[in-house]
Amino acid sequence: MKASLDLGIVFPVLVAGRLLLALTNLPDALKHDHQLSSPLTSYLNLQEGIYLFKNGIDPYSGGVFRHSPLFLALFTTVLPTSRTISSIIWTLCDAVGAWALVQIWRARQRVAQSSRDGLIAAAYLLNPYLFLSTLSLSTSPFENMLALLSFMFAAQGSASPSLLAAALLLHLSLSSILLLAPLVLLLASSPVSQLASPRSFSGNSQKIKPLLAEFLAYTAILTVASTLVSGGWAWVPQTWGASLTLPDLTPNCGLWWYFFTEMFDHFRPFFLMVFSIHLLIYTAPICIKFQYDPLYAAFILLGILGTFKSYPTMADPGLFLSMIAVFPEIYPYLRYPIVTTLLHLHAALLMPLFHHLWLNQGTANANFFYASTLVFACANGAALTDCIWAGLRIAIGEPQEGFVVVQE
Amino acid sequence: MRKSRSLLALCLLPACLSHSFSGETFNEELTIRGLPDGRVASRFEFSTFLHGATPRNPPKSHYTLFPLALGQILREYAVTELHLTLNAGKWDYDRWGYPEEPDVATGASLWAWMAEGSAAAHGPTGRHSVDARWRDLRNALAGLFCASIASLDEQRTTSPARAFTPLGALPAWPQSPPHAFRHASLPSENVCTENLTPFLKLLPCKSRSGLAHLLNPHRLFDADWHGMGLHVSWRPEDGVQVRLTFQSVSDPLRTETTRDWSLSSLFDRTIDRACPVAALSRVVVTLPIREPYSIHPEPSSNANGRGIFDLAGQPLPLDISMHWLEPFQHATIPAGQAPLSVRRMLRGSAQDHGALAVSIANADPSPVRVVYLETLPWIVHLYLHTLELTVDGVPRADLLEDISYIAPVPHGRAATLEAVLTIPARSTVSLRFGVGRAFLRYTEHPPDAQRGSELPGAVVVLLPSDSGNKTQGAGRWVSNNKGALQWAQTQGQERQQQRRIYTPALLVDPATPDFSMPYNVIIFTCSLVAFIFGSVFNGLTRRFAVLKVPPVDG
Repeated sequence: MKASLDLGIVFPVLVAGRLLLALTNLPDALKHDHQLSSPLTSYLNLQEGIYLFKNGIDPYSGGVFRHSPLFLALFTTVLPTSRTISSIIWTLCDAVGAWALVQIWRARQRVAQSSRDGLIAAAYLLNPYLFLSTLSLSTSPFENMLALLSFMFAAQGSASPSLLAAALLLHLSLSSILLLAPLVLLLASSPVSQLASPRSFSGNSQKIKPLLAEFLAYTAILTVASTLVSGGWAWVPQTWGASLTLPDLTPNCGLWWYFFTEMFDHFRPFFLMVFSIHLLIYTAPICIKFQYDPLYAAFILLGILGTFKSYPTMADPGLFLSMIAVFPEIYPYLRYPIVTTLLHLHAALLMPLFHHLWLNQGTANANFFYASTLVFACANGAALTDCIWAGLRIAIGEPQEGFVVVQE
Repeated sequence: MRKSRSLLALCLLPACLSHSFSGETFNEELTIRGLPDGRVASRFEFSTFLHGATPRNPPKSHYTLFPLALGQILREYAVTELHLTLNAGKWDYDRWGYPEEPDVATGASLWAWMAEGSAAAHGPTGRHSVDARWRDLRNALAGLFCASIASLDEQRTTSPARAFTPLGALPAWPQSPPHAFRHASLPSENVCTENLTPFLKLLPCKSRSGLAHLLNPHRLFDADWHGMGLHVSWRPEDGVQVRLTFQSVSDPLRTETTRDWSLSSLFDRTIDRACPVAALSRVVVTLPIREPYSIHPEPSSNANGRGIFDLAGQPLPLDISMHWLEPFQHATIPAGQAPLSVRRMLRGSAQDHGALAVSIANADPSPVRVVYLETLPWIVHLYLHTLELTVDGVPRADLLEDISYIAPVPHGRAATLEAVLTIPARSTVSLRFGVGRAFLRYTEHPPDAQRGSELPGAVVVLLPSDSGNKTQGAGRWVSNNKGALQWAQTQGQERQQQRRIYTPALLVDPATPDFSMPYNVIIFTCSLVAFIFGSVFNGLTRRFAVLKVPPVDG
């Protein structure tokens, strides 16, 4: 009873608090921030696209608007675009995301409610990376919400809503295709923690093919819908293509922008290919290694995306960090959580500072900000490798006196 | 002395024969006008006519007066109408009024009308397509004028629909799509002597005789403002006209205390000989209205406050000098020298976003309708949804109509914004756009990247307040020598031509990467990626083993 009260109090209080903050002038101050919104998720670009679309100009004919046509459809018909309403919608997105995260936790623990519910909701709603992204009205919270919803439905065993959410997510962000494999595995097995007892895939592999077919059907329907909305195929190179060809080199917290700013022209296509494929190569090994716990594989892949995707915002690593709350069983096996935390602290303080010094103050140069994004990538990499280590190490358990655990 | 006189007679002999250059006519004119602030604006105009010629099918490839180098370019790329201006400095409309030559955009500007190749087989990407010919035309003119016109590439080319109208006519060929318009400008182009020399080479008398003798680079490029132009147009009844213009604003007050000027003080030269092939060769001086002055020699005719010196009837060498009897008072110049006063600036100190603010003031007691044209390279993009339009602080979104917008494409295409704007009587309209600034690849930055790069100025085109009731003026068009005389008579009258106001170029400084460390960045990023990949790979492939630790003796 007390546990339920916990979430019952924590959740509304946090959502209300965030709503209050969202309705202040903070979003106007943050909407230009490059760490919080990338060209693919920026609220300014979204508004520009909607404005052009409403005035009969194809927003995909230029290079500013790179959001999915689904956003166009949503905001030109259903939702108004005033700033106040946007702030409320964005905050509600995060509330839904937090609720989905709590549901994932409950499904993983096979309990109706637990004492950790409030903590998990708080881990999502109070995470500054997610929190500030929402305040900046970047569309990343929509992506995070859809990712969490698809995992929630998958954990609860409802395949169709889960695959639909994944198809929607794919339309918002091409690189989230990585999450499809663990999602399908999750639908074919169970979300219950199996980390401590690794074994081969126990789910029903017969279900995988129909699930994939269903996902493809949803994707095809949404693709056709997008084409109908935008009146042509121009959205494909502008949205999906942009995350592969990187036409906009606006700084962000990822690794791509400065690399391709400084890249020699004749090597650019090659390295674009390398960086794109590099993202893909993690899927199979992680899914194979964690075949007994696809939710954990999905969690690791979210960490990969947050570190290596082409246009990341702080919300991408933020989702990975918040999801750590769902896996408390790995905590004793983390090797260097303090180092990871300090790295994150270091990067999170330096990135806005150096960004401001470079672009606003004019007293620093691009290398300062680049160096802090490298630290941020180190922090994400440290969290990622530590979580992989802990997720595998847990299977051995604590060694007895006189024994040590080593890697072969 | 006798020898020189006979030489002069020899030179004048062809002048009598000049009418016999059937099919080609050459006129030259110099206009000198005192400006309200004591400066002197002078404008040279050299027109060559190729009568009976059409843009695509020139009657011959041999010219007598028409510049051959230009004729070859026009024929090769089938250009119907072509304008090229190379200007240096900012034309100050508020102090100097409206220029004689309307096209005073800073730097190089090139615009042309060309028809799509009639043979459909060539296709839109073929060698004879408009875009291919536009590229070749740029390269050819860059070679001809020693200017960086070739860098007016696709990233700077736009096709605004309303701001520019052809000066002449565009032939309607059967089975051919209508003419395509291409415009590009490069505000950072420096105009100097190396551009004047090829300019002079296009004249039949070069700079040896006639008015062109006054084109002394030492003085012209010392002027406060100077610019040259090439204008090619066509009319069915006349043929092809090439007009070469040179306009400058000199400041006699810079060195002297009086604003007196003479040809020798302005150009350090006098007109020693007439150009023998010129059908019309004259100097027009705008005479002051309410001030006592003396001019020497006396003009051969005087009309509409303009003194006209016809070189045929003047003793040579000619050195016109103007002397004011009263000293010049540095008074405040009354506003409204030009129909509108336009200011445009880029605001915001951040290197990633800012705002573009334009204010257009109308001092007239009647509202003015203008076409506002903004062509921005993709390094700066407008956020149209942030557009604020206010009149003296009051929002008036209804004043902007007919907006057409072509969005920029990163690394590919410039943006074009064209709209019709009404400026109410005696008020100032303020436009404000939010702008985003792009981040460029390190190879895309111009040399001296920290200085930034120039954005072309906006163009404000005044629309006629009452359309249709005025007769279609002859513009700059004359058909023959008789026409030249008529043209001379109508000089005082207002020219029926689009009036364009160019705003000065803006400097934008894009955020720069560190140009010295592409290798370092590649190495750092690749190392980090490899490090994280290696750690993940390590974690995923190595198995855990439990080892017994032998007890340590101690």
